[in-house]
Amino acid sequence: MMENNLDTARKILVCCGTGCLANKSMDIVKNLKAKIAGLGVDISVEPVVKATGCNGFCEKGPIVKILPDDISYYRVKPSDSDEIINKTIIEHELIERLLYYDARTGKRVKSQMENPFYNQQMKIALRNIGEIDPLEVNDYIERNGYSALRKALIMKPEVILAEVEKSGLRGRGGAGFPTGRKWKQCDNINNFPKYVICNGDEGDPGAFMDRSILEGDPHSIIEGMLICGYAIKASQGFVYIRNEYSLAVKTMLEAINHAEEKGFLGNDILGSGFDFTIQVVRGGGAFVCGESTALIASIEGRVGEPRAKYIRSVEKGLWGQPTVLNNVETWANIPVIVDKGGDWFSSIGTVKSKGTKVFSLVGKVKNTGLVEVPMGATLRELIFDIGEGILGNKKFKAVQTGGPSGGCIPSELLDLQVDFDSLESVDSMMGSGGMIVMDERTCMVDTARYYLNFLAEESCGKCVPCREGIKRMLEILTDICDGNGQEGDIDLLLDICSMVSEASLCGLGKSAPNPVLSTIKYFSDEYEEHISNKRCSAGVCKDLTNFFINAEDCVGCGLCKKNCAPEAIVGTPKETHTIDSSKCIKCGNCIDICKFNAVKVL
Amino acid sequence: MKIIIDGQECQAKYGEFIFEVAKRNNIKIPSLCHDEALPGQACCRICIVEVIGNKWSKVVTSCVYPITKEIEVLTNSEKIMNMRKMIIMLLDARTSESDPIKKLVKEYEVLPITRFISGDKEKCILCNLCVSACDILGTSAISTVNRGIMKKVATPYDEAAVSCIGCGACANVCPTGAIEVSEEDGKRIIWNKEFELIKCGRCGENLATREQMDYLDQKLDVKLKEYSDDFLCDDCKRRTRAEQLKGHNPYRCSII
Repeated sequence: MMENNLDTARKILVCCGTGCLANKSMDIVKNLKAKIAGLGVDISVEPVVKATGCNGFCEKGPIVKILPDDISYYRVKPSDSDEIINKTIIEHELIERLLYYDARTGKRVKSQMENPFYNQQMKIALRNIGEIDPLEVNDYIERNGYSALRKALIMKPEVILAEVEKSGLRGRGGAGFPTGRKWKQCDNINNFPKYVICNGDEGDPGAFMDRSILEGDPHSIIEGMLICGYAIKASQGFVYIRNEYSLAVKTMLEAINHAEEKGFLGNDILGSGFDFTIQVVRGGGAFVCGESTALIASIEGRVGEPRAKYIRSVEKGLWGQPTVLNNVETWANIPVIVDKGGDWFSSIGTVKSKGTKVFSLVGKVKNTGLVEVPMGATLRELIFDIGEGILGNKKFKAVQTGGPSGGCIPSELLDLQVDFDSLESVDSMMGSGGMIVMDERTCMVDTARYYLNFLAEESCGKCVPCREGIKRMLEILTDICDGNGQEGDIDLLLDICSMVSEASLCGLGKSAPNPVLSTIKYFSDEYEEHISNKRCSAGVCKDLTNFFINAEDCVGCGLCKKNCAPEAIVGTPKETHTIDSSKCIKCGNCIDICKFNAVKVL
Repeated sequence: MKIIIDGQECQAKYGEFIFEVAKRNNIKIPSLCHDEALPGQACCRICIVEVIGNKWSKVVTSCVYPITKEIEVLTNSEKIMNMRKMIIMLLDARTSESDPIKKLVKEYEVLPITRFISGDKEKCILCNLCVSACDILGTSAISTVNRGIMKKVATPYDEAAVSCIGCGACANVCPTGAIEVSEEDGKRIIWNKEFELIKCGRCGENLATREQMDYLDQKLDVKLKEYSDDFLCDDCKRRTRAEQLKGHNPYRCSII
């Protein structure tokens, strides 16, 4: 029996982030509520069931957390609801099977803080997510929400600007421009009205940190924007959210309504005389609209194409007026900085990158999800401690950071301390914090081709270097993957890269060569092998791959044969199997499924 | 303020673009998407130059880079020439039949590239001048559609645009002759739309489309027809005016 908490109101927090929702977490909420209602007088204090934002550990969702007992259950099914109420809520017993199993210690753990996925994290931007119902403004207020706004409204604007500058916070959207400096530059321009924009056009494949904040803690963004509005004397803010994030749009719209009802938005906010309103603008799904000038063009109702930034947005932004544009995660950090002070924030992180960063750890890693760690954490800590290593115990090959224009970092650099500058020094970038882990079955030429293909579709197509450069790089990479690579292709790629990175109009074009540059830099052997030997050692490029079964390792279990769709594998049980290459479609099923590592790439 | 372009001292106003200052001082910077009436496209980027600071240098687009301090500019450093050649090479690979591009290929001694699949009779370099011209006229019959490598200039859904008046401003401003206009039997065909041409009342040359004249009526809030039975071309207007001044007017037509 656990300690009896009958006198305290219990809270059952059910993760309703997008991943958990897809796994029926809303049904869990319904079932729990129905069960509690049906119990009536059986328990002295009725527990509250709350649907929260994303807990981050999407791999093990849906997650149900019970407070104040601090119990976390993972991979909960709607059918587990009755048992949770009967056993844990009424009888105060743990349900062992739903607890997290720590493979390293062989034990099941009760609290999130005992779970290695969580206990190495430090949550600032994600501080409330998973703890509150995003649609309940009182939940946010209960956790110190809007106290930074109250504090800011009696501070002098220049003191706020100095505090944000002192914090060392750099823009979390990718470029890492010092936030305090941006605000100050905008404040120094004597031209009104001024605007405040939140960039929620997150479009990197595999990245969902902004979505999680928009869906799980919208008031932290509103509060951050309010503080900036007060500091730079702006009275209108815009939150630009891509329309594919329908839950984020809905949550943000409701949060704005609630904030207005509570007097945090509108006229004469909290009696201070400061007016501020926020409008939600839905983006049409163009990746390039995440670029600040394209985003501004899109809000203005023009085609979402960037412009040259020789005159910056802080001077001439939205409708030609001074504008501060920051990313979702940046805004979420602001209230904490104002609350706890710039010195506190700058004590976290590395010399030039302060605070924490949220990464979306995805790909071939065991624990996928959102993780927030102090700047300076190593790739190894992220992938092997928090992420618990590579799926299927395969070999780590590279980690791709920074979204489609980021780079691939090889295993030699696993001890790299991650911050804005270190990532750039290895030909990658922070970007918005995407982290895609790749194993030995990933072909690096094919990876570069994949990203260039993404960029070829998502470039706005306005300037020649980006549009034509990407098109031709993609053409060469496709040729190499198809076995039509030519001598001199690598040099030609490098020449195009150097032009595109300098002559392109915006950040998308300037960083577009990164996937090519970093894969050539760290995996040039693979390129050479594709071009000269017409072989893809990862077994990905179909025209350059042949699989065979190694007789010494094959035990004749027949698993590969059973899973081979074109029936290309022959063999009798307990005898070595063979692959008929004329029938093989090179899907790679056999190599992925073999438990004895007997299938090899020729 | 003073700036130095390729070693030559030039006077520049604050905020003026490098391209304009260079042009005024007879320093040639190549460009395809620059038009004085429709500035700021910054698409073709062959006008890139290198701006040299104290301990730094950067590549900028001269047609939109505003001069805000005394700087030194190199229009054809080795770095710029290499990049410009690469851009011209990419444009050449895109447009297999464009004379202005072929001329640039020759001028900059760009090696012919055989590595790529060449553009299928493509002439358009997507400089956006046509779209800007159409926008400024207020017709907005064409725009760029799609993104990235699929981008093109088109009328809505590639059909004859209701708002197109067949004025041909787009074709006129196009640096590569990519917009097809045909005139036959008193008809002009442009952007898949056929227009009746009004002829000059004196010499009979094609003058403008009926829709263009109607558009002028609407814009100017007049009825041009009320001023004249016929419309005259520019040459005939001059001729008629001169004859009127001499007191000899064989052609009884007011001048519009």
